[in-house]
Amino acid sequence: MQEQNKMKKWALLFGFLICCSGILSAQEYFVYVAAESEDEVHLVRFDAASESAEIAETITVGRFPTEIDGPHGISVAPDGKHWFVSIAHGNPFGLLAKYETETNKLVGTTELGMFPATMEISPKTGLLYVVNFDLHGPMRPSNLMVVDPNDMEVLDVIDTGVMPHGSRISPDGAYNYHVSMMSDELIEISAVTMEVTRKLKLTKGMETMASGDEHAMHHTAMNNTGMNHSEMMHNPVEKPTWVDPHPTKPLVYVAANGSDEIIEVDIQKWTITRRFNTGKAPYNLEISENGRWLVATYKGEGSTGIWDLESGKEVAKIANTRRVSHGVTISPDSKYAFVSVEGIGGEPGSVEVIDIEARELVDYVETGKQAGGIYFWKMSN
Amino acid sequence: MKRFLLSLFLFLAFFSVPKNTSAQQAHIVVEPTALTLNVGDEVQLTANAISANNEVMPDTVLFFLQSRRNRRAVGVTRDGFITAYKPGTYSITARTFGDTPLREDFEITIAYPPVTSVGIEGIPENLYANTSLNVTPKIVDATEVVRDNVDYTILSSNPEVAFVDDFDQLKLLKKGKTTLTLSSENISQSYEIEVEENPVTSLELSHNYAGKTVRTGDVISFTATPKDRRGRTVNDIPVTYSYIVQPDDDLGQGASALIEQDGKFVANHTGVYTVMARSGSQISETTFRVESRNVRRPLQVVGKGIVPDVKTSDLWVWEGVDGRDYAVTGTWGARGEAFFWDVTDPTNIHTIDTVQVDARTVNDVKVSEDGTIAVITREGASNRKNGIIILDVTYPSDVKILSEYTEGLTGGVHNAFIYEEHVYAVNNGRKYDIINIEDPTNPYTVSVVELDTPGHAIHDVWIQDGIAYSSNWGDGVVAMDIGSNSSADMPGAGGSPENPKYLGSYTYPSGWNHAAFPFKSKSTGDFYIAAGDEAFPYGLDTNGPNRAAGWVHFVKFDGWDNPEEVARYQVPEAGSHNYWIEDDILYAAFYNGGLRVVDISGELMGDLYEQDREIALFLPTDPNAAIPNSPFTWGPQPYKGHIFLSDWNSGIWAVKLGEATDAGAE
Repeated sequence: MQEQNKMKKWALLFGFLICCSGILSAQEYFVYVAAESEDEVHLVRFDAASESAEIAETITVGRFPTEIDGPHGISVAPDGKHWFVSIAHGNPFGLLAKYETETNKLVGTTELGMFPATMEISPKTGLLYVVNFDLHGPMRPSNLMVVDPNDMEVLDVIDTGVMPHGSRISPDGAYNYHVSMMSDELIEISAVTMEVTRKLKLTKGMETMASGDEHAMHHTAMNNTGMNHSEMMHNPVEKPTWVDPHPTKPLVYVAANGSDEIIEVDIQKWTITRRFNTGKAPYNLEISENGRWLVATYKGEGSTGIWDLESGKEVAKIANTRRVSHGVTISPDSKYAFVSVEGIGGEPGSVEVIDIEARELVDYVETGKQAGGIYFWKMSN
Repeated sequence: MKRFLLSLFLFLAFFSVPKNTSAQQAHIVVEPTALTLNVGDEVQLTANAISANNEVMPDTVLFFLQSRRNRRAVGVTRDGFITAYKPGTYSITARTFGDTPLREDFEITIAYPPVTSVGIEGIPENLYANTSLNVTPKIVDATEVVRDNVDYTILSSNPEVAFVDDFDQLKLLKKGKTTLTLSSENISQSYEIEVEENPVTSLELSHNYAGKTVRTGDVISFTATPKDRRGRTVNDIPVTYSYIVQPDDDLGQGASALIEQDGKFVANHTGVYTVMARSGSQISETTFRVESRNVRRPLQVVGKGIVPDVKTSDLWVWEGVDGRDYAVTGTWGARGEAFFWDVTDPTNIHTIDTVQVDARTVNDVKVSEDGTIAVITREGASNRKNGIIILDVTYPSDVKILSEYTEGLTGGVHNAFIYEEHVYAVNNGRKYDIINIEDPTNPYTVSVVELDTPGHAIHDVWIQDGIAYSSNWGDGVVAMDIGSNSSADMPGAGGSPENPKYLGSYTYPSGWNHAAFPFKSKSTGDFYIAAGDEAFPYGLDTNGPNRAAGWVHFVKFDGWDNPEEVARYQVPEAGSHNYWIEDDILYAAFYNGGLRVVDISGELMGDLYEQDREIALFLPTDPNAAIPNSPFTWGPQPYKGHIFLSDWNSGIWAVKLGEATDAGAE
């Protein structure tokens, strides 16, 4: 019996070493990035040994290239076998398209809502949760759609906030978090019951107010004579654009694009615990898998910030190669951040590779115009 | 040995048990198991997740309709409350999302309501032997829905007198009486009919081209007049029309002509035709020759302005305040530029100014009638505000930006039109905003036109004589009075830019409606809207040659409430984009099919492409173009005797039609 236990331990150790050696010797990193004004998705390969990035493949996406639609959000299934892209704008509705990662061939589509944006798949339910940003519509609540990525059918439509964005899933897959840009809210949805479970007002000074209270206040307690309802009800300050859950702690981090902050929220207490002043207009952010780093894009100044979450300090701010920084995704080994930058006008977009530990830009590759949604696919030797 | 065999048996038995046994055995049980509902029924389903050990698991079971397309047919709540709205069979899924996710697919059937009434429509008062006519069964169910998916029979009590065949043709064989009975499910309705002797002893056949040369594409109206033995006209007896032909080209060509049962005939190809009218046993026929339309004219390239590095979008040509001629072209998927050209001498088209704005696509460009103000549209602005840019083009070699207007237009403006100091801007593919530019430095929105149909979208808007014609994909062409004037070809409704009023619309099934051009036929006085498609069923490679689909639909309006699609111009191997109509000539951009110049004079009917109406064809290609040697023609504009056109792949072109010759162009 003892001998058997010994063998088991050795086997486990051997397996662990194999896994580790795979990670440690990983040379290539692959990310998908959407070029919104080019109707293309690029597969970008980064060779860590030579610290060089290149476009491995370009995939034309979309339904009507001559019209206003374009690819916006992108995600990869947890098993890495498929990637998904939301085609925003639309005719009038956008759509979700599913591709195989091995072949980059389109395998299915389904119609979504107005300007579908960001999305992620829950490892618990296997379902995809995509927000309909409705970027150009009137200031009214939009929704989040739950899609079965196997059948490519919309299972549920959940009413949420005004301009919902930054749809991300908790590490256990049990919850979806996203933000409502024009009502300054963090919204939590149960991935299983598909209901809004909590909302948190992010506006400074209003944190203790339950979401929705300000609406009630405006309508019932105040003398409304002569007041502009639309301005009064939608006067966002934080304008949150992104949220990402911490991989191990009960925390989520919100990019407050309007107030130049990153907001830390304790999801157990459902309260704001820290606010970090950032560069201009933080847009997207991601926490590294080791839980130590937060990397945020500063859309308003064309740079990327690296934050040490232990100290709560920004340890580096790295200028991007062009203006309008957009998305960020971090490799699972927590070594590299891949940042998409839109550019302006006819300028190409870019994917910029940042060595997080070294706190430096190691390479960049130019993409189609308006590089936006970006998502990590895999590491390989 | 026995021990070894026993061990082997046990080993095989163990490994022959399917893996993941528990996962395979765990399942969801839904109650009731089979469900057939009636419209309006509500039922609460229950479900349990059952483990491999046959124990109820604590997992919550949620219910989903498998296809949202059916959500108006059946309501399914997450906790399994079903509401039946529309008959049919629908798939529902029960799922759990615990550690062992389970799924159970099942169907429910919503039964069709019983048929409650039946009837036969289209039986005239007088019926004559030796004739036949179409009748229409009408079957209505308990929800007052007219059904076309239910079996029925129409039986005759005396089929030797009359009967209804499998195609709902009432065959009237001889004088006598019979009863026709329509039955569906357990509902019947009977009609006693009496067939009279056929009184027709002669049939006269005339047409409106007597003594004239008939050409391909000419619509001839035949009139058959049945008369009895006293020479009196029998007005209510059915007459059928048909034709035979001896085509000049009998080497396997397609259909030679089209004849409608109102007597209208149009030939596609030359030859000797015999049109026949029949009523009962009386037949009358007339034979005539159809000649070639012979409209081909030579076309000559006069000049071009090749845009070598970006794709060219729309164009507008106008006479400047200095009397010279200018053009502006947009750019697509590029640097946000609009190019201004001097085209006074079309053999020497050259740029004189460039305006660059924060955008990737300047899709549309328009210039005011007085030649002083231009509007360019923006898509892909880096701040995502898009909107329009208003320009002073009084001096086209020194264009000035007067204002940027983005209020409510952030989603991108794909097309626009300037009319009487207002810009009509297609907003986010969803609606069009009407913007006052009396002070072009201070534009403001005065109204918004948006349809209220589900999933509505819009692509373009064109104004003529105070009527806005918008192109709305699946919702077709919609006409709004925004200040119609006395020049308008159709009556207005007292609208204004601040208060647009609906006039009429026309929708067709493909959902490809992309452009609209209204015109009054110079030769017939009929009012048409040419409704054009845009479609890329073969995809669109933005870096290479392409192929499009779609055609121009000719919709004749006899009053706003009476549209009829009567003809099409379809180039089989290409697809329509923008076009212009002037003096009964269609100038159409057909993407990979280049520029088509088409004679649309006379009454329009059938397939214009087949009728030899094409005057000229031009494929703009250039080795130095953004996409070399590949036409993808965007839009034409006839102007001062030339045809200017923009081509997505190559830039701006000027061509000229030569004079018609008796032989046409070779």
